[in-house]
Amino acid sequence: MSLQLIFDALALGGIYAVAALGIAMIFGVMKLVNFAHGQFIAFAVFALIVPSTDATAVMGLGRAPALVLVPAILLVGASLAVTSEFVVFRPLRNANPVALMVASFALGVVIQSGLMAAYGGRPKSVSLWPELGSPVSVLGAQVPLLQIIVIGAVLIVLAALALLLKKSRIGLEMRAAAEDFGMARLLGVPANAVIACAFAVSGALAAAVALVLVAQTGVADVRMGGQIMLVAFIATVVGGMGSLPGAVAAGFAIGAASVLLQAALPFEARPFRDAFLFGLVILVLLVRPQGLFASAAAKPRV
Amino acid sequence: MSATMTDHRARRIAARTTPVLLCLLLLFFVLVATGLSDRATGRMAAETLIRVTLVVGFWIFAGNSGVISFGHAAFACVGAYVSAWLTLNPQMKSLLLTGLPDWLAQADWPVLLAALAAGVVAALLACVTGAAILRLSGIAASIATFAFLAMINTIWANWTPVTGGTSSVVGLARYTNSWVALGWACGAILAAAVYGASASGLALRATRDDEVAASASGIDRYRHRLLAFTISAFFCGIGGALLGHFIGVLNPDTFYLSLTFLMLAMLVVGGIGSLSGAVVGVLVVSLAVEALVRLEKGFTIGSAQFSLPAGSQEILIGIAMIVVLVFRPAGLMAGRELALPARWIRRVAKGGASLRPDKY
Amino acid sequence: MSKLGVFDLSVRYGKLVALNELSFQVAEGERVFISGPNGAGKSSLLGAISGAVRAAHGRIEMDGDILSGRAPEAIARRGLSMVPEGRRIFRALTVQENLMVGTGLRRDRNAVPNDLAAIYDAFPILSERRHANAGALSGGQQQMLAIGRALMTNPKLMLVDEPSLGLAPKVVDEVYERLAQLQAQRGLTLVIVEQSSTRAARVGGRMILMRGGRIVADGDAGAFAAEDLLTEAYFGQESAA
Repeated sequence: MSLQLIFDALALGGIYAVAALGIAMIFGVMKLVNFAHGQFIAFAVFALIVPSTDATAVMGLGRAPALVLVPAILLVGASLAVTSEFVVFRPLRNANPVALMVASFALGVVIQSGLMAAYGGRPKSVSLWPELGSPVSVLGAQVPLLQIIVIGAVLIVLAALALLLKKSRIGLEMRAAAEDFGMARLLGVPANAVIACAFAVSGALAAAVALVLVAQTGVADVRMGGQIMLVAFIATVVGGMGSLPGAVAAGFAIGAASVLLQAALPFEARPFRDAFLFGLVILVLLVRPQGLFASAAAKPRV
Repeated sequence: MSATMTDHRARRIAARTTPVLLCLLLLFFVLVATGLSDRATGRMAAETLIRVTLVVGFWIFAGNSGVISFGHAAFACVGAYVSAWLTLNPQMKSLLLTGLPDWLAQADWPVLLAALAAGVVAALLACVTGAAILRLSGIAASIATFAFLAMINTIWANWTPVTGGTSSVVGLARYTNSWVALGWACGAILAAAVYGASASGLALRATRDDEVAASASGIDRYRHRLLAFTISAFFCGIGGALLGHFIGVLNPDTFYLSLTFLMLAMLVVGGIGSLSGAVVGVLVVSLAVEALVRLEKGFTIGSAQFSLPAGSQEILIGIAMIVVLVFRPAGLMAGRELALPARWIRRVAKGGASLRPDKY
Repeated sequence: MSKLGVFDLSVRYGKLVALNELSFQVAEGERVFISGPNGAGKSSLLGAISGAVRAAHGRIEMDGDILSGRAPEAIARRGLSMVPEGRRIFRALTVQENLMVGTGLRRDRNAVPNDLAAIYDAFPILSERRHANAGALSGGQQQMLAIGRALMTNPKLMLVDEPSLGLAPKVVDEVYERLAQLQAQRGLTLVIVEQSSTRAARVGGRMILMRGGRIVADGDAGAFAAEDLLTEAYFGQESAA
């Protein structure tokens, strides 16, 4: 029984970690908290189906074989993110972080309203890879195959990202830019390319989360990204703004806490699980306001 | 030489004219709207003035501290429900809201007291929450307020015996009309002006403008933020109560993301830097929304029928926000206050002085 | 043609005028010290040349190529490198990674490993700690790292802002020794903001004295040390006519 819990915790934690990573990436490079990230996720979800307001969705892109579908959706996510950067955030490149945050919030509303206009506001049922729902016997527990794939995919994504950041040229430039953007530019690091890359990665990460959500829940709802996004933001804050490992660690921690709370709480309190979660987070922040892994880009010392 | 008014003194008096001018502006707005004797316009005016209370309340914190709080709609939510709990028919309460403690279920307060109670409860909640959240840096604090909003919404949507959950609570006395809303709006504006001119308000604005310098000057950012947060919540709580008693029906989603977005849009468009910006923002955006609503319903050009697709309201407001942030980030008022020009005041003072016999 | 030409450069921060129609030129291979009291505009000058700060008015050229109005990374690509005040090394990156950040703009990628070896030769302490986090280095070591990092972009012209800030005199000696060596080896043109005009006189070179956003004197560094011009520049006293 508890093995099941561990898999659940890992899978949920993994999703939260990937979502938090998407946000931390952009924050690290641009000091922008992208409130539209949840809608990036939702957009990728709806990219799978044909626009219509019917209650049951007709798969458009979603019908393609996985080998084509996965890269295609990742590309959709990356493209949306890069386009957003070009249209909304680049003109605001030198604005203060608060203005950027508010603009991203507005962008999120625009995307969500657009999705609502095209697809209607009601949740639709979507069937993506239903065969993955069948349980597989692992170490004595019955675990849905999808869960295992999710955990595996998360590990692959984290490893790939770590590789990109540590070993590649653009990764080095991104890390330098994340710590001191102005200095990086003085050394010839191309500002636009680095930021576009950060957005592209962030968008692809959002799309990955979208795929998992649809496969797991079988539902396409314009409000889908919102819940995940909220947890992702909190993970970013708890992990220490701008710290990528912090975001990942906090994402896993919150996912684990969420699953454990769900199991540990008495039945009547279950719906309030999220409220407990947020309360816990506020408590953590009380103790350590700068987050668990405050990044090197600290506030100016007085 | 007779006493001539110094420039400084004139400007201080000019600053004090701001709340008066804003209230007169709103009064004018109400008179025009009710004068048109179109029921829809009258309701629109009332709703706009309720929003003034909400947004001015919001501004007391966000404008002075520079921290964008996403949680103020939660205070409106709490305020609305507190007022409902205190004023709803006791029989209805014992039927629908079985989880309410007896004294609350039997309560039947006058609406004014209930509104004040709404504000006080919201303020207390803000005090507790703020104690935890306001030590964080600006952006982190904003995210924490977002979490707070979600938390309240989750609790409200699920705590059915007390809040009615996702099904609506009906039967609120619809006492909010343009004049009631105007009264509270003016009260909020006055309070905002007083706080803004107070030592705490000034100190808080110093931290907004230059965190390092303020800290080096010994200003305790946390305490001033907490005070502003609490006062801010008080008025949002009252605004929530007014809104509840305007619609007559309560639902947790009324006080969630749409309201947050609208409040933020109004502050951005008007300009977060000044109280006048907040008020002007409410007026401009409300009028724009009203126009969009009518366009969505359909209009005729010549013999052809047009209507905007549903949902375009939010898209257009969102786009407008982004455009304002890119091209005029300080908003319409650009951080300036609506006030009588200082030189008018000096002229009046000089004119007055010339009627008095020369003293020294 | 001069290596660096500054013509009527003005920089403003709001209403504050930091640089007031400054003009001067630097020849290839020269070593120029910019000195003067606090607030004279020295850092603003380097900021404007490197592109970090926007000029309100005026023109900056390098080898006849216009620099003013370009983005910092475009200026770096044209062969200008900057070691800023406070060093601003990337503390989360290793020493080697710091050195490699600026090599992306180089067209001669094949020469990079050789250059890296040369920098390690010039600064052995960096070689020893090449895989350590840059944040762990001492002040003097960080200064060497910052200089090495700037040199890895293979610049023709290098700007150095206050290299002696916060460092012990003996360390500053070492830093300047290396700088002089590297300049001779590579035929670099150097523009250094140095608060201590006595030190500049000791290292030797040309000195431009600034005060209040203007140039008040321009000549050999050694000659200044003896004259009242320094006092005038720092304390604003008019010398006896």
